[in-house]
Amino acid sequence: MDKITRRDFIKLGAGAALVTLLPKSLLIAEEKAGPVIGVAEGDNAKLVKAAVDLVGGIDRFMKPGDVVCIKPNLSFASNIDCGATTSPDIVKQMVKLCLDAGASRIIVLDHTIHDATLCIERSRIEEAIIDKKVSLVTLQQERQYTEVDVPLGKELSRIQVAKAIQTADLLINMPVAKTHSATGVSLGLKGLMGLIWDRGYLHRVNLDRAIAELATVIKPQLTVVDATRALITGGPGGPGKTVILNKVVAGTDVVAVDSYTVGLAQWYNKSFTGQQVKSIRAASDLGLGEIDTAKMQIKQVKV
Amino acid sequence: MKLRIKRARLVRWIIQLIFLGLFVAAFIQTSYGVTVSLQNIFFRFDPLILLIVSIAFRTVIATSLLALTLIAATLVFGRFFCGFVCPLGTTIDIFDVFIKRELAPKPALRSGKYFTLVFLLTAAVLGVSFLHFLDPLVISERSLTLIFHPAATYLAGIFNFGTKVLYVESAIALIVLGAVLVLNFVKQRFWCRSVCPLGGLLAVCSKFSVFRFSFASPESCTNCGICEKICPTGAISIEHARVDAAECIECLRCRYECPQDVFNYRISPASSRIDLSRRQFVGALGTGIIVAPLANSLLHQKLSGRLIRPPGAIPEADFVSVCIHCGKCMKVCPTNGLQPCLLDAGLNGLWTPRLAARIGGCEKNCNMCGQTCPTSAIRKLSLEEKTYAKMGTAVIDRARCIAWEQDRVCLICDEACPYGAISSLSETVRETKLLRPFIDERACNGCGLCEARCPIEGRAAIEVFSIGEERKRSGSYITEEKIQLRECREIDEDLPSGFIIEN
Repeated sequence: MDKITRRDFIKLGAGAALVTLLPKSLLIAEEKAGPVIGVAEGDNAKLVKAAVDLVGGIDRFMKPGDVVCIKPNLSFASNIDCGATTSPDIVKQMVKLCLDAGASRIIVLDHTIHDATLCIERSRIEEAIIDKKVSLVTLQQERQYTEVDVPLGKELSRIQVAKAIQTADLLINMPVAKTHSATGVSLGLKGLMGLIWDRGYLHRVNLDRAIAELATVIKPQLTVVDATRALITGGPGGPGKTVILNKVVAGTDVVAVDSYTVGLAQWYNKSFTGQQVKSIRAASDLGLGEIDTAKMQIKQVKV
Repeated sequence: MKLRIKRARLVRWIIQLIFLGLFVAAFIQTSYGVTVSLQNIFFRFDPLILLIVSIAFRTVIATSLLALTLIAATLVFGRFFCGFVCPLGTTIDIFDVFIKRELAPKPALRSGKYFTLVFLLTAAVLGVSFLHFLDPLVISERSLTLIFHPAATYLAGIFNFGTKVLYVESAIALIVLGAVLVLNFVKQRFWCRSVCPLGGLLAVCSKFSVFRFSFASPESCTNCGICEKICPTGAISIEHARVDAAECIECLRCRYECPQDVFNYRISPASSRIDLSRRQFVGALGTGIIVAPLANSLLHQKLSGRLIRPPGAIPEADFVSVCIHCGKCMKVCPTNGLQPCLLDAGLNGLWTPRLAARIGGCEKNCNMCGQTCPTSAIRKLSLEEKTYAKMGTAVIDRARCIAWEQDRVCLICDEACPYGAISSLSETVRETKLLRPFIDERACNGCGLCEARCPIEGRAAIEVFSIGEERKRSGSYITEEKIQLRECREIDEDLPSGFIIEN
């Protein structure tokens, strides 16, 4: 091995010092070359960490002592093999990841459509509540919400959003990949409806556009899609056909994550792109993220 | 006051409060997820339920046979149930603490309780039960369900705790409980001595009881009159040196408060008669014969078509009689969708459960109402069988539905339906494809989750009617035909409008 000369050492040291002074944007490649999508495939027990590591690791999103909100889809009181709710194991992996990163409190939350007690029971989400720092909250009471403005809204002007996510340091959106009888697919963007009080209102206006507007006020820093299986017909509540994908998709850009995930399965036995889903397209039109999979940096790993 | 009097009173209060506590504990246990429990234990011991429901239903309510032990115990020990166990009696006693009473001998209107008992029996023989208006355990349970539970959840809500539970009708239950308590102003324990048919039934038994309170040493009695004044049921007659065993609720007051120690609890020969004159007996009989035929909920069912009973409810003609209107099913319903009938099922159907789907639907994976029903008016069905027990059929009011009338991409009903009975099918209107919800009535269970979720204001645009409702007294709801239908049914699905289809 070559000896390091003093000159080399100084050069190296100065170089390293200079790097730390560079603006962050130059360091993280995705700002230049489109959003990073991390796709892990294989052993279901390892997918979440693998996928999150591809987008920079959990430490990029939080520091020790942070309060983290994790929003899985728990809306339906149907068994986990039905594919209508996020797998408890996938949520548990995320909880573990955050605990290991030093989270002071983790709140797993959703506003369920069916009765909350039954949704909790059937989705088996309590398996993810592995520590006393972790709590499970169903948002069935109006008092759990506070009203916010939607400045970019045409369909929405004000909306009641869960208080819990406004005080948290990090919001992780963990939808399950499934079809939806109205919006086509239900992924990260559609999942945001589980954080508002009056879900029905969105159905009374232009639903697809309203979902996009919702994403202007609720901004999860990280979206991790449970695509271990996908409910490809009969969504969002099932019963329907499911396909096994054994994948987890992670990213910071919810539009990109959704758009990429659309390409992973045949919804209603047909292929679609993100551009063909009105709600994703509307979000892209609002400048909320990248819809074109060609412009994303897709990192894949098999575990 | 002498120490022993204080002690005797205290002991009785403690025993009464323990039983009241147990009753409330059993009520609290009546909640979703609690399957193995003693939540019905009080009802199991109620001989009036056994008697009236079995006669009206022409079938012995097997789970209530335990009540025979209370009959047997009363035949040996007297009406201790009324003095120590009955939750309504204890509530009356608690209320009584706040009444300032002039102590005076109280002539009793004793025949009332026998009158109600004969009336109930007559009606039961004619196939109708009016038990729910008069049974003290039912009144207590219903008061907990319809009055105290909503009030407790409301108060908890102030401290941001729990989920609010409300019922469309709590006021009438409150009036009934209030009346029972207010009657106490007329006479102490007025309800127990003059109205309560369970008291009447136990009084008939305790007339023959082996042990009873009596003037054990009448020779030392000084005619001071204290015992007559303090006896809460007016059971003591100094003149005849007699304690009427049928009236005595064994509260122990005479035993410990008599300055001469005259009274004792011991084996004593039977010495009382039933205070129901022949005329009153005929009156009660006649009342039953006239009133019973008027109680008919089938008419109401026909008129509205919206009387949806819980899944597994026995046929309507029997349901109103076998159901004791205690409200346990409503307490246990996790969605608050089971609500008391007001006059939806006739006056006699007051407080019977109906699925008010606009308030909450019937969750597919829940069968708690049948599990908790003390008389099996709602049958115990497995979760699987329960999904086959059709309660009704949803009907879309297209004129009000915003998917039909306003071309909105609503379809929340499709989303909410756990049976896959609602499909969104496209219809082309002036070259635009629009999705409309359609119902497959064969798959619809009548659970009403769609009605609960319908996002329009007020009355839902999709409502459950009792069309196709299936009610079986016995036998399985699961048939080969239904299984086949479920397995072979292709769920119709058009592409959601959320997709942009490029040609």
